[in-house]
Amino acid sequence: MTDTIDLIDKLLSDLKKSGGVEACAAVSRDGLLIKSSMQKEQFAESFAAMSATMLGAAETASTELGKGVPNRVIVESTQGRLIAVGAGPSALLVVIVSPDVGLGLILLELDKSAKILKELLE
Amino acid sequence: MIETGIPKLDEFLGGGIPNGKTLVYYIQPGVEGEIFGLQTIHSSLKKGGTGLFVVSSTTPDIIKGQFREFGWDIHLFQDRFLFVDAYNSLIGAPSNEKYVVSKPDNIEAFSKTIIDAMKELPPSTIVFGSLSTIIDLCGEKETLEAVRTWNKMANLYDHVLVYNFTAWPYSEETLKAIKEDMFNAVISVGGISERVIFGQYFGIFKADWTKEIKKSMLFRVLRPGGIKLYIPKILVTGPFDSGKSTFVHALSTRAISVDRMGTTIALDHGHIDYKGFSADIFGTPGQERFDPIIKLLSGESMGVFLIVDSTNPTDFVRAKQMLEITKSYGLPYVLIANKQDLAGALAPEEIRKQFNLPHDIPIVPVVAKDKKGVFEAFEVLIDKITGGL
Ligand SMILES: Nc1nc2c(ncn2[C@@H]2O[C@H](COP(=O)(O)OP(=O)(O)O)[C@@H](O)[C@H]2O)c(=O)[nH]1
Ligand SMILES: [Mg+2]
Repeated sequence: MTDTIDLIDKLLSDLKKSGGVEACAAVSRDGLLIKSSMQKEQFAESFAAMSATMLGAAETASTELGKGVPNRVIVESTQGRLIAVGAGPSALLVVIVSPDVGLGLILLELDKSAKILKELLE
Repeated sequence: MIETGIPKLDEFLGGGIPNGKTLVYYIQPGVEGEIFGLQTIHSSLKKGGTGLFVVSSTTPDIIKGQFREFGWDIHLFQDRFLFVDAYNSLIGAPSNEKYVVSKPDNIEAFSKTIIDAMKELPPSTIVFGSLSTIIDLCGEKETLEAVRTWNKMANLYDHVLVYNFTAWPYSEETLKAIKEDMFNAVISVGGISERVIFGQYFGIFKADWTKEIKKSMLFRVLRPGGIKLYIPKILVTGPFDSGKSTFVHALSTRAISVDRMGTTIALDHGHIDYKGFSADIFGTPGQERFDPIIKLLSGESMGVFLIVDSTNPTDFVRAKQMLEITKSYGLPYVLIANKQDLAGALAPEEIRKQFNLPHDIPIVPVVAKDKKGVFEAFEVLIDKITGGL
């Protein structure tokens, strides 16, 4: 058990090292925080719940419309971006990215990390 | 009798630890367990008792620093809070403490200091910061033998002895002796991963002075604050407009809602710190069009508040349906009879009849908008979740 959580911790801190990533979290599909790497820890729990709802609602909307499971949800604002990706049936991964960096590399990193998270939780 | 100061544990132990008795916190490696002994000595000091802390793996100053981190004021206890310093001499540093073990790797020297202190002090709470370190320094057999003597002395002099023990891979004999034979009470402290929830728990493995309660509790360590029982998810559900969002906000230390045009479209999320408990609360939407989200959010709940508007019995069918959607049957739940301030509000027992609610399910009358009854309801649910007495 400690091993898995340590590995998730490492995954998050690696992800946070990618340029432009301000915070990230691993969240269960039903909105519980598994682990986060963010400055304002006290907001991590509600952030987790909101992210799971957002991705869940987006997935339901998209599949109901016959458009399949979305690859990710990206929320853009002038102050930054929030990206949520599914990581298997039990978890998702969320990052907050600063507004001034390109997303290409980050999306690649995120997909890679999501795949690892999925395997860790199997 | 002293209290351990660990929420719920004292209740489970029939009030605490009686004088003359011994207790070991049996800690799985990798779990933040040593704070248990710390919180116990703090609890006893706070109640005016004398506390002796035996440090083996760190300096007394660091322990005092930890007290400060937890927000516990040591100045209140000054002359009642004593140390056996079995660390500084290991690293060749001087010690300012009243009791010093000059050779911490020699069990005779160690034992002599402990016994001297036991004879001198009034009935006290004596906490061993790390029994495992003493074992590592002095040997398994030798240490256990000394511990047996100390435990007998405690009984004679009316001290309470508390040990933190990290269950490293010692010989099976040693582990078995510690877990089963040597102490009046054994509290196991471990880690769990239930599906994706990683947590720490404690539970009573044994307590020979009271009826054993085999119940495990999740906990978190907060700085400041110490050990708090932790409930990762309590669900608040019920029909549209029954007062779910109002209830979540009334109960929470901090809360947010995603409401648009007067109705919750995603969820309410609140965090509560109350009487040694810390819990996260999830409020669902109520309208049928949001059922997929309600399903999504309700996994892994440990307990449920089902909110109904007491003036609106036509909604009871939907309320029951929501218990089904959230898969709440089988979980501890409490029916909240909200809006008791309104004319025409049905009394709880009338609601029970109309709802056809089983007799073992509590109903709590509440006025969520005035925060009336919400904390009573919380205590009732917590009691159900923890198998309350
Ligand atoms: N009179 C009265 N009104 C309440 C009470 N609790 C909530 N309300 C009101 O009921 C309405 C619905 O509350 P809300 O919390 O949004 O319900 P939800 O749809 O279940 O989340 C709001 O207008 C609240 O002000 C109560 O105890 N008494
Ligand atoms: Mg609402």
